[in-house]
Amino acid sequence: MTAQVATSAHSNPLDLHGADRLDDVSRPTKHDDAWRYAPHDLLARLLFGSTTATAQQAPAVAVNRIPQLDGPRIVIVNGVIDVDQSQIAALPDGLRISTFAGSATEPTDPADDVDSGFAADAFLIAIERFGSGGVAIEVTDGHHLDVPIHLVDLVAPNQTRNTPSRSAVVRLGEKSSATIVETRIGTGPVFGGLNTRTSITLESNAALEHILLQNLPETQIHLGRVEVSQHAGSTLRAHSFNLGASYGRVAYEVHLLGAGGQADLSGLYFGTGAQTLDQQITVVHSARDCTSRQSYRGVLDDESTGVFNGGIDVRPGADGTDAQQSNDNLLLSDRAEANTQPRLEILADDVACKHGATVGQLDDSALYYLRTRGITANDARRLLIDAFASQAVDNIESDAVRAWIRARIGASHA
Amino acid sequence: MLMVENLSTSIGGTPILEGLDLSVGAGEVHAIMGPNGSGKSTFAHALAGRDGYEIGGTATLDGVDLLAMDPEARAAAGLFIGFQYPVEIPGVNNMYFLRTALNSVRRARGEEEIGARDFLAVAREAMELVEMKKDFLNRSVNAGFSGGEKKRNEILQMAIMRPRLALLDETDSGLDIDALQIIAAGVNSLRSPERSVVIITHYQRLLDYIKPDVVHVLVGGRIVDSGDHTLAHYLEDHGYANFVNHDPDSAPGRPLTGTAS
Repeated sequence: MTAQVATSAHSNPLDLHGADRLDDVSRPTKHDDAWRYAPHDLLARLLFGSTTATAQQAPAVAVNRIPQLDGPRIVIVNGVIDVDQSQIAALPDGLRISTFAGSATEPTDPADDVDSGFAADAFLIAIERFGSGGVAIEVTDGHHLDVPIHLVDLVAPNQTRNTPSRSAVVRLGEKSSATIVETRIGTGPVFGGLNTRTSITLESNAALEHILLQNLPETQIHLGRVEVSQHAGSTLRAHSFNLGASYGRVAYEVHLLGAGGQADLSGLYFGTGAQTLDQQITVVHSARDCTSRQSYRGVLDDESTGVFNGGIDVRPGADGTDAQQSNDNLLLSDRAEANTQPRLEILADDVACKHGATVGQLDDSALYYLRTRGITANDARRLLIDAFASQAVDNIESDAVRAWIRARIGASHA
Repeated sequence: MLMVENLSTSIGGTPILEGLDLSVGAGEVHAIMGPNGSGKSTFAHALAGRDGYEIGGTATLDGVDLLAMDPEARAAAGLFIGFQYPVEIPGVNNMYFLRTALNSVRRARGEEEIGARDFLAVAREAMELVEMKKDFLNRSVNAGFSGGEKKRNEILQMAIMRPRLALLDETDSGLDIDALQIIAAGVNSLRSPERSVVIITHYQRLLDYIKPDVVHVLVGGRIVDSGDHTLAHYLEDHGYANFVNHDPDSAPGRPLTGTAS
């Protein structure tokens, strides 16, 4: 991976006028389906500043928040890699980690760019223009990493440049496997945000477990984008935990490019206060005999809003597709709101496609049953909420990561 | 032990129980029988603390006013209700549920909580009582259980909670004869001078296996007759017809020859 600087080669209609913020033309509006529930007034205040201007050592209070997982760790503070906090020396065999400055990815030759179809939006352009650089992670062919790679973003906004934009590029070689955990945390009372792009390529028969834990403070906005290109026989298991931020956006776009690929995406969002937690999920089936699952659960308390916008896009020729989608919401308050929107476009034959959505409340009869057994009303509520949410945690493969996520969820919603 | 006086309940202004009196002494087993709609289940749930009733009268357990308490406090006071329709709770592990329940009650009583290992021993013993397989503890509470398994799980909970008073609401409904015998054996082994049981049922069948000290007939929200276990046989033979639309204050609803005493 070589260092790259953003070029102006893009001819995107959503072009940028100002130097550091998206102008009215570039910014999405409520009329864009994918941005319908976003706080547009706050998005207008994001300053996507350049890079070194915000580089700073992590405040001590923030460093203490960096969670520990065994294995390689990359800590990115305000979009800039903090070498002191990172552990990228003595990497296991088959793993390469490097850093780059500037733009998200290397511009590719359009001729061999078979998968240029990721949807562009203003924030992607912001990353390409103002990206502070990022990290490249490569697992070489045939290697199986048994410790998770941990990517930690820490946001401590200052008044001038409040929204770091960074990239991660991940490539798993043929028949390799790995677990990557991305944690986003922040500190401080200052308004700001984090804009991330994670571009993942899974070569043939590679297997990746990707976990994203978003737990920014409620003064901040999270714009997280994950793009995945999957080649034949590869497997993705993605789990997102969208917990923090005033507006927490987690967008996955998965392209199944080779036959027999499997994409299993699941997520949990847990809203309190006035949070809006937005999952924008799209799986594109471009090859035969691929399987995809989207399984998202939301727990929404107070005046929080949950959004699930899930797309299944089956391209011509993608016969033998097996795609399912489900979105279940638990409303804990009568002021909470769940919005769910399936988008299905099927242009192939021999396709099995299912989707379903539910919105419900805690089961009064279950609460009563538990209370007759001496369990207090509070404990009974928590037991039922945990039971609803646990499905999203149970299918994490790594025991250590699962236990750690459980503890994190418990800690942020005790 | 249990003293119920002039208990009345209504839902949305519709009366269900209308002045029910019942007194159950320590170690006694009482059966409450009655036709559909007579208020049997309402009685159990009014004592257990379900929301939605307007309640009058009094009910005390060991002198403690049950009706003023939350359901969980009633459990801590020693009340247990076996549900006619045990609730399925997907995602809540049965073992975890049972231990949480026991420890909640112990905590409320100021007793020490029981650790996972010690609890396992308690659970195993209770499981033997109702002939439950080991994997039972690892399943979600009642989720996907057969009718018989759900009812056995109720008795298992009773065995773990060791209540002062158990109200068993139609525990025999939907059971085949084998399951009925297992449940009866479980309840019988939990009988003690310290523990009372109130069995609510349509049929005398369960009472062939758990012999009650007193049988009550509940009709129209009141107990209209009481007798020994032979009253159950009378009801089995003659049904409730003689008691329905009958004013209990005027004359007995059954021929006096039917009363064995």
